[in-house]
Amino acid sequence: MRRRYARLSFSRVAVFAAALLLYTAGARAEGTPIPHGTLELVAENQWIEAGRATHLGLRFQLEKGWHIYWVNPGDSGEPPRVKWQLPAGVSVGEMEWPTPRRLGTSSIVDFGYEDDVMLIVPMHAETALATQGLAQIGAAVKVLVCREMCIPGTAQLSLTLPVKSQPPVPDARTADWFAAARKALPRPAPASWRVSVADAGDSFVLTAKIGQHIAQANFFPREESQVKDAAAQQFAKVPGGFRLTLRKSDQLLKPVARLKGVLVLAGDRGYAIDVPVTASKADAGEYGSSDGDRPAFVAAVFRPPSVVAAPQMAH
Amino acid sequence: MRRSTLYRMIVVLMLCAVPLLIAAAKVGDDAPEFTATASNGKTVRLADYRGKYVVLEWHNNGCPYVGKHYNSGNMQRLQKHWTSQGVVWLTILSSAPGKQGYVTASEENDYLTKEQAVPTAALLDPTGEIGHLYDAKTSPQMVVINPQGVVIYSGAIDDKPTTDLQDVQGATNYVSLALEQAMAGKPVQTPATRPYGCSVKYRD
Repeated sequence: MRRRYARLSFSRVAVFAAALLLYTAGARAEGTPIPHGTLELVAENQWIEAGRATHLGLRFQLEKGWHIYWVNPGDSGEPPRVKWQLPAGVSVGEMEWPTPRRLGTSSIVDFGYEDDVMLIVPMHAETALATQGLAQIGAAVKVLVCREMCIPGTAQLSLTLPVKSQPPVPDARTADWFAAARKALPRPAPASWRVSVADAGDSFVLTAKIGQHIAQANFFPREESQVKDAAAQQFAKVPGGFRLTLRKSDQLLKPVARLKGVLVLAGDRGYAIDVPVTASKADAGEYGSSDGDRPAFVAAVFRPPSVVAAPQMAH
Repeated sequence: MRRSTLYRMIVVLMLCAVPLLIAAAKVGDDAPEFTATASNGKTVRLADYRGKYVVLEWHNNGCPYVGKHYNSGNMQRLQKHWTSQGVVWLTILSSAPGKQGYVTASEENDYLTKEQAVPTAALLDPTGEIGHLYDAKTSPQMVVINPQGVVIYSGAIDDKPTTDLQDVQGATNYVSLALEQAMAGKPVQTPATRPYGCSVKYRD
């Protein structure tokens, strides 16, 4: 229905529409078909102000049941990849990924998004950028769309934005999308939190002192091949917070310096964390520590000492 | 004395329970034995190939990542090259009936002919038993087993996790690398990687 309406109106007022697209509602572009969905490149503001940063959005709308992937896709799949075509003086920053969902089956777990999702991309225009002109922004996107099966798609997107010297005005059409997308982004972990990660041999033990008790938490590892994606994340309450035991990935053969990712608390949004991994007490041959808060304790109570003391990675 | 015996028993029990819970083989582990029916009707036992290198290739003919390696001829080249070097190449079909990539024996034989694929055998694994034994996540996940029956590589076919045919050229092929290094008596430098591709279409 929506499609037909759109086509009709375009055929009637094609010339006006084109003019409006370029000069009035500058941040407008057509939705481009991708497998089982559409993709649109949008801008937060009606024009680019030279010397100021703004934001672009890649807005995916997927048919029910289909999904795309997070930056770490999990056991299978692949995140969308973008090749930007930018005018001189314009640059884009690192993509901002909303908190993903756990998708898949009991043995294969992926991280991604269903339905509607917008990836935000910061964009910067140099002060020297000629004003009174138009900036043509292109994005060649490769995206894998999956349900039971996966279909790779490509889309060539473009967006034309005027460049002006005055502060930009938000585009009313995209304002809600950007607001929703920002809400879906993981926020920085509060300064009051104390999050630590200990290497416990075949697991990472993440302890989060957040000053409250919660019922459940889930961790999404930002890097591939660190955490075993399909393994259940063992949740336990500790004084002032919780502890998550994350099985290491079979592909992880070297120690990791940091664990980066998104911590999702039950009934709450995601929090970005980036925590150094410390050697567990168990590694030093100790076990049965009386300090119940120390992550090493978890390893010691669930495994016999000979296993805890054994070399973690024989190969 | 009694205490230490009891303690030993507990340790043994716990060690037994761990593989039961985790089950799947990792690099450095003994490759789990299996018996399967090949698309040519023969019964294939992994144990029969002790003394040879064995490559396991997880396959799903509808997966675009698999398509990349068959449509470019890359998989067939690898099969031809390594089987000519005495390596046993087993293509494994773990898609459940009704799911993408599930084929009957004759459909698989037609596919092998059409694609000019030359694995030693294509094994029908509709229950996913072999797939779960090796914790196969994707097609085309690859596993290399050495003549002593130890898993020396498990993961991606190469270092370009895309569906683009042109990415085959210039990619580092981890399977060939593992075989070359092991055959030269060297340790496998990259023994485990993320096995990119489509999820294996198990029954669950």
